[in-house]
Amino acid sequence: MRTQLAGEEVEFRPDGTLLWPSESTLFVADIHLGKGASFRSKGLPVPPGSTLATLEKLSLSLDSGVQRLIILGDLWHARQGKTAEAVEQFLSWRSRVSVEILLVEGNHDRKSGQLPVGSDILTVPDGATVGPFRLRHEPEPMDEGHVLAGHLHPGYGLDGRGRQSMTVPCFWITPGVTVLPSFGTFTGCSRIRPSESDRVIVTTGSECREVPISRLAESSFC
Amino acid sequence: MKTPGEQVIESWFAKGGWEPFDFQREIWQRYRDGESGLVHSATGTGKTLAAWLGPVIDAIDHPQDGLNVLWITPLRALAADTTESLLRPLRELGLPLDVQLRTGDTTTAQRAKQAKHQPFALVTTPESLCLMLSQKDPQAVFGNLRCVVVDEWHELMSSKRGVQTELALARLRAYVPNLRTWGVSATLGNLSAAAETLVGTGGTASIVKGFSGKEIIIDSVLPESMRRFPWAGHFGTQMIPGVIKAIEESESCLVFTNTRAMAEIWFQQILDEKPEWKGVLGLHHGSLDREVREAVEMGIKLGKLRAVVCTSSLDLGVDFSPVDRVIQVGSPKGVARLLQRAGRSGHRPGAASRVTCVPTHAFEMVDIAAARESAMAGKVEAREGVMRPLDVLAQHLVTIAVGPGFDAEELYREVKTTRSYRDLTLSDWDWTLDFVVRGGESLRAYPEYRRVVRGEDGRYRVEDKDIAHRHRMSIGTIVSDAAMTVRYLGGSVLGTVEESFLSRLKPGDKFIFAGRPVQFAHIKDMTAYVKKVSSVQGAVPRWSGGRLPLSSELSQAIREELDHARNGELRSPEMQLLAPILELQARWSAVPAENEFLIERVESREGHHLFFYPFEGRLVHEGLAALCAHRISQHQKVTFTIACNDYGFELLSVTPIDIESEIERGLFSSRNLGPDILESLNSVEMAKRQFREIARIAGLVFQGYPGMNKSARQLQVSTGLLFDVFNRFDPENMLLQQAQREVLERQLEQSRLAAALTRLSESELILTAPERPTPMSFPILVDRLRETVTNETTADRINRLVDELELAASSLT
Repeated sequence: MRTQLAGEEVEFRPDGTLLWPSESTLFVADIHLGKGASFRSKGLPVPPGSTLATLEKLSLSLDSGVQRLIILGDLWHARQGKTAEAVEQFLSWRSRVSVEILLVEGNHDRKSGQLPVGSDILTVPDGATVGPFRLRHEPEPMDEGHVLAGHLHPGYGLDGRGRQSMTVPCFWITPGVTVLPSFGTFTGCSRIRPSESDRVIVTTGSECREVPISRLAESSFC
Repeated sequence: MKTPGEQVIESWFAKGGWEPFDFQREIWQRYRDGESGLVHSATGTGKTLAAWLGPVIDAIDHPQDGLNVLWITPLRALAADTTESLLRPLRELGLPLDVQLRTGDTTTAQRAKQAKHQPFALVTTPESLCLMLSQKDPQAVFGNLRCVVVDEWHELMSSKRGVQTELALARLRAYVPNLRTWGVSATLGNLSAAAETLVGTGGTASIVKGFSGKEIIIDSVLPESMRRFPWAGHFGTQMIPGVIKAIEESESCLVFTNTRAMAEIWFQQILDEKPEWKGVLGLHHGSLDREVREAVEMGIKLGKLRAVVCTSSLDLGVDFSPVDRVIQVGSPKGVARLLQRAGRSGHRPGAASRVTCVPTHAFEMVDIAAARESAMAGKVEAREGVMRPLDVLAQHLVTIAVGPGFDAEELYREVKTTRSYRDLTLSDWDWTLDFVVRGGESLRAYPEYRRVVRGEDGRYRVEDKDIAHRHRMSIGTIVSDAAMTVRYLGGSVLGTVEESFLSRLKPGDKFIFAGRPVQFAHIKDMTAYVKKVSSVQGAVPRWSGGRLPLSSELSQAIREELDHARNGELRSPEMQLLAPILELQARWSAVPAENEFLIERVESREGHHLFFYPFEGRLVHEGLAALCAHRISQHQKVTFTIACNDYGFELLSVTPIDIESEIERGLFSSRNLGPDILESLNSVEMAKRQFREIARIAGLVFQGYPGMNKSARQLQVSTGLLFDVFNRFDPENMLLQQAQREVLERQLEQSRLAAALTRLSESELILTAPERPTPMSFPILVDRLRETVTNETTADRINRLVDELELAASSLT
């Protein structure tokens, strides 16, 4: 879904990424590599495969001539999740993608230790400017520029009648901040409470659509 | 020849001017002979003394140090009260025996003290018992144990907590082979199954019946005049004066409603009518803060409250002796439930239990009449235990591994002695063991995964201290809903409301909670802040899971009651009052006989309605409706709107349906039932929700606890997400299959649905085509209207419809 954001044409994509075509730049948030492994190391039996699946999903997102990938925090989930296998999978993936990668550190990254040697990722400071955008992990507005952020894993609640209700990942656009949904395959989402001046674009995996923000619309949806 | 102990007890009774009942003496005798068993007697007839004094007599005759008796109670709230009633006779007898509490509220210091100086008896919950089993040396704790008493066994046995208790009892028997186990129960259908569940497949249990005949009065408050088309809730305000009169006639009264939202509404409406009762009318339901609930419980116990509007939250609980009358608002939904609630009144010697039913719409009068008939005939719902839940087994294995560890073969044999797992296959056992050791097939190659470890001696243990700690924090099978705390901006906590309700509120919206009008301010850290307002206009939160279906026993009784009415046998005041409505139903359509299945076809501006009346309860109807819609849409392109209540369901479509040929094609056939149901409902979403409980019990997720540190918080994950991850990366996981099975059995009541289909296909089909909605279809229709439009307009629309139908009915008479 194409729309204007801070005066730039951008595309909200069904995989939860945000494409800035004129700059060949792709934004993504909350990848959480190694999350399954960090759970396993604590004795919680989570099946393996989510890190590899996340990287494969990211490869697919990069296909359309993207030259720069900007990660809005939480590339890695935790120190314990950086097992030899997960690091190996990541580095092997990195060697196959030739894009420039920028990272704004998120709260999980800060607790995950150094990036693996050979990551070839440029860490940029919180609030770094790219065109009209400011890059952050936590979605706090700034005096100037439109903030792109993650951290919240935003989801929008669709309540159907009977016993049906579900929460789907969404982009949450407020006047000064746009929050991206979480990208990792082992991440969930939590319900947001948009106000009427906000825009919400839900992602279904195969398409993006904007939902009207009003209580009536919410309850009569489905 | 009486033993010294028996003589002490007999003379204690004599001193009070009493004599033990025969059943009490019988139990003491059996206890002395080393037997286990089940005491079944009505509430307030001396069951507790019957079970308790056996071990006390034994202690007088053969004193023994250490912990002699474990008393398991289903409710933590009951434990303190129980401890007190066990201590009372000991004090009066001057016996130096101590009874202490052991629940989640017991402090570490108290627990350490209990370990050093073991009391004669401990009162505990299933969860706390499992915690004790997770100690390193349970033999030292339980080595001297003589007896376990399980209180309110009927309440426990049909849940996963009951299974947890079964496993714990099997464990205790391993430590103490000649352990005596006694169950105490007031209402129970199948006593022999209950007794077997208690002692396991290897034991024998005698069943001792005390008094079943405590007099129970079941009457009702009936409306003075009746409109012919009462819709759900319509009687509401009309019934208030009658309810107030009933409260006034009683000294202390419990007013039971079927849902928390109903409790809030009735509390408000009674106060509107009787403002002077502010302060002596209480409100009690499961979402209120514990302190609020405890204050209300204390108020009833001390006789300070005139009445309390409550939900099933007071079905069990402390002995409220001042209560002399119970009011049941709405259908009792089941016979056992009605008897249980009735039993909360009349605890004084010689007093009768009295329950007064208040119908909220016309057909609930049939429910009341039918429930009374069944209760008088002793037809009470059977309780069935939960069979072989692998999540509970997984938790148990880790519990024992955290404790002394186990030998796989020994523990397998022990688990098989429980009734729940008696048919556990070796492959299911192996899978569960593998699951707690390696995390299941998919984690075979992951050396970083550690939970239960097999030591060199072949025993399974948990070695990691963090894992052991987290498991201890997570023991239990009750999964709390994703609820948010509701708190005043000033500070005090009111209770919890489901997040889905709050997510629809905006700052400034008003709602009624805990009997008080409040205004929503904001949400911070999973807490909704509200402030007091004076206005009482506002929504009442709807809590999910509140709608209980009719039990199959009561459904059957209702069909019989209608059959009698059809033949002009109006056996109760309720049925007499209902007679004109049934007459109209017969004239416009038909009142189905017991062996008939009525379907009504009605055309309206909305479209083509089909109303089906299986009288099988809401859950079965939901399943049946989805199944019919699915099967019809297989050979006809059509979209249905579905609605149902406890008596029947509606399929509404834009195009007409040739229902006769659909039935001939096997609309109600039980062939291919399982797959058809799974296809017809959003079963994936339902399984996902069921998985929440399973994942939590099996230890797949860690719920956390107050004050836990950040690193633990990183391990929190939603079970919905986990369900997706398992479905994608480990689809063969047996816990996923369990989730699907539990959806079919528990949420859709598949076996009941299958039985209903068989019955329907053998029934004689009565197809009518009334010109307008009938008294039976109207409540279903209205229920649907209420769900699709906003509140104000619903009332208007319904009133208009009622007026039209009234006009039609009177012009025809």
